[in-house]
Amino acid sequence: MKLFTAFLTAASILGAATANPKGNDAKGRFYYKQTCKTCHTKGAKGGEVTPMSKTQAQWKLYFVKAKHNSGTEALLKVMPEEQLRDVQTFLVNHAVDSPQPETCGK
Amino acid sequence: MSEATIPRRAFFHIAAAGAVATQIGCGRRPNTAGQRYEVATACESCPNKCSVIAVVEGGMIRKLNPNPRNPKSRGMLCARGNAGILQAYDPNRLKQPMIREGKRGEGKWRNASWEEAFDYAAGKLAAIKEKYGPQGVVWSSTESFAEIFFKNLGLAYGTPNIVRHPTLCLASVNLAYSMTFGTVPSFDLQNANYVIMAGANRFESFITPDTMDLIESTMNRKARLICLDPRFTVTAAKADTWFPIKPGTDMAFILAMLHVIIGEGRYDKAFLDTYSTGFDKLQAHVIQYTPEWAEKQTEIPASEIVRIAREFSDAAPRAVFYAGRRSSWYQNDFQMRRAQAILNAVVGNWDKQGGMVPNGKMPLGELLFLPWDDPQAPRVDELDKNFPLAAKGDGAYLKLRENVLAGTPYPVKGWMISKQDPFNALPDQSKTLRMMEQMDFIGVIDIQMSDTAWYADVVFPESTYLERTDPIEMLPGIWPAVVMRQQVIKPLHNTKPCLDIVQGLAKRLNLSQYFDYTIEQWNEAAAKEMPIEMPLEYLKKHGVYASPDPPRYGATLQPEHRFVTKSGKIELFSERLQEAGHDPLPVYHAPEQPPAGRFRLVLGRKAFFTHANNTTNPWLLDFQKENRLWMHPQSAKPTGIADGDLVEVTSSVGSVRLRVKVAEEIRPDCVHMLHGFGKRSPWLKRAGEGGADAAILETAWDRVSGNAALHETFVQVRKVGVPS
Repeated sequence: MKLFTAFLTAASILGAATANPKGNDAKGRFYYKQTCKTCHTKGAKGGEVTPMSKTQAQWKLYFVKAKHNSGTEALLKVMPEEQLRDVQTFLVNHAVDSPQPETCGK
Repeated sequence: MSEATIPRRAFFHIAAAGAVATQIGCGRRPNTAGQRYEVATACESCPNKCSVIAVVEGGMIRKLNPNPRNPKSRGMLCARGNAGILQAYDPNRLKQPMIREGKRGEGKWRNASWEEAFDYAAGKLAAIKEKYGPQGVVWSSTESFAEIFFKNLGLAYGTPNIVRHPTLCLASVNLAYSMTFGTVPSFDLQNANYVIMAGANRFESFITPDTMDLIESTMNRKARLICLDPRFTVTAAKADTWFPIKPGTDMAFILAMLHVIIGEGRYDKAFLDTYSTGFDKLQAHVIQYTPEWAEKQTEIPASEIVRIAREFSDAAPRAVFYAGRRSSWYQNDFQMRRAQAILNAVVGNWDKQGGMVPNGKMPLGELLFLPWDDPQAPRVDELDKNFPLAAKGDGAYLKLRENVLAGTPYPVKGWMISKQDPFNALPDQSKTLRMMEQMDFIGVIDIQMSDTAWYADVVFPESTYLERTDPIEMLPGIWPAVVMRQQVIKPLHNTKPCLDIVQGLAKRLNLSQYFDYTIEQWNEAAAKEMPIEMPLEYLKKHGVYASPDPPRYGATLQPEHRFVTKSGKIELFSERLQEAGHDPLPVYHAPEQPPAGRFRLVLGRKAFFTHANNTTNPWLLDFQKENRLWMHPQSAKPTGIADGDLVEVTSSVGSVRLRVKVAEEIRPDCVHMLHGFGKRSPWLKRAGEGGADAAILETAWDRVSGNAALHETFVQVRKVGVPS
């Protein structure tokens, strides 16, 4: 029962976040680099993952499913809800089909 | 001796006398101050970031040499790069912080300590934040290695109004190529066999390694160069064919080329089938744009358009329609660049030697810190509403100024500026001046008392690029490299690098937690991911690290490759543009023409100067001491204007006076003047004579990118004097 409630909480939080994430892109980038990149780099056990690994729709779906480690683990186990919301914003904003016009310099 | 005429030999004596305080920089250090040593660093005389080796002797910089290890700049250092020494030894540079005492622009300043300057500025910034919110301050800057620190201070302060230089430069090119290919490629001029340059004046306006590649291609390999320009420039003189195209009609020329290439089946069908989307719509769209129609628009014969289209497609994939560096010309600039991008795509020059090549990159780490909260207010330029596709972090400069002047959607009362001179960079100086006058506070970080600094409240003197260490940076390109700018000599005066200035302000604004690092820590973190042993030591020794592998072509030419666009393909037809309310394919609209008695003002650059900079550098000023108004004899004669006469050039927003160069090398419906002359600041008294184009340029922008449109001004010319 506890597990089921936790799942519902995660799904509803992240579902709401998907509809209107309102996360912080810059903080999401920080949490992504600090936490996700420890495993998700080339040659590491999670394999390389970047924002450009998925389309915007795919990233949104990923956070609706809210599963990690090939679907075996709740995303909320990886980092707290607020940080996940920021990471989602970062990944969606910079997905492979996102409107990211290049800039001059930084 | 006049400051304006310092000969090179005398310079060393003067500089030596003034360099008593000079100490030894890092890099290859001598044991004593008198020894000769070299420091590998990076130039900052223009945005190109060429690698240089500074030779220091007796504590002062004797010479700057090119660093052949950099695959981009190779063994080359241009006139500006050589003359960069004088940035450090300029007797009129800013030497210590200053606070304004008199009225804005009156020129009454008092010297201040750094503590006083920081306290004063932070107090003003805090007061504006308290009264108007953090959105009440605009943070503006131009691209540089250290810009990240300045920009981050604005973000940490909480303003959404970061405005960078691209909408005064090449935002329309960047956006057009991004919307088509998902990235902005490089043009492989070194290996191209056919190059079309429209408006770009690479032999004269901006001498960089690209220019040398073009010289190599056209002079030694006999590559064909086609030039379209209302002026007979140096590039036109070196071209195989020059067309004095009617200004603002370049898109008609390109669309007619597409008409010919597609109509005659000269496009790369296999490439387009595999990698692009929207060809059928493009094919139907360009049927209307015949060479005969384009002849009426461009004044280029239809037969010549057909010839160029056939030669271009025959030479493909080693054929490029070059995008240019500065693209701020007309209100349709984005769509014209889109047409260029599409033309390049249809002949299949993508990721091919001699064609357009997606930029290679190298891994670089970063110093991680938890960033700030997002700003609460929307941008004052209302970017989402006005230019929804534009780069969010860059803003739209002219729209921002309009809204600040109008006080909508909210008041802006502060302006922080770094390495930028908006007074000369933005059209219509009277508007920029009004924007300044309505500010409660203006803070400027610069190495000299620019015209903008002259109107500021506090001036923070930055150390020149030869006196500071900057963040190391990766330069993407056909052959990418990581470069390092490191201190050659210690600061000659009471100046600081950008990070120290930012930290001084951050401390007083209670934002220190975001800037709690040194430049050494920043660079150590950045170098960590470089694929070599002891990367930072390598960079300190050599100044640059380039991939040992030569450029590779074709990495993206795999059927499974996904372009960073909405569809994953090269988008000839753009749904994203359509959704934003713009033409999904480039649609031609004829530009307005000047009425009788008026002329279109077309601007230009000389490679001795970078925008409005360097016109006080005596070595460079030797090449060109004034800007003159180019006027065709057919236009000058009826009004009695002769070569050398002083004229008044008037637009709807202002007038300037300068002398005339009567010349056949310009169309009769245009006049031309160089940018960067006619300075106001008394500290720039050595600057060349002439007029400031920014005083007469009217405000106009590209509809999609928000890029300034600087060729949309019509002027009258009146004789006011004869040569003395």
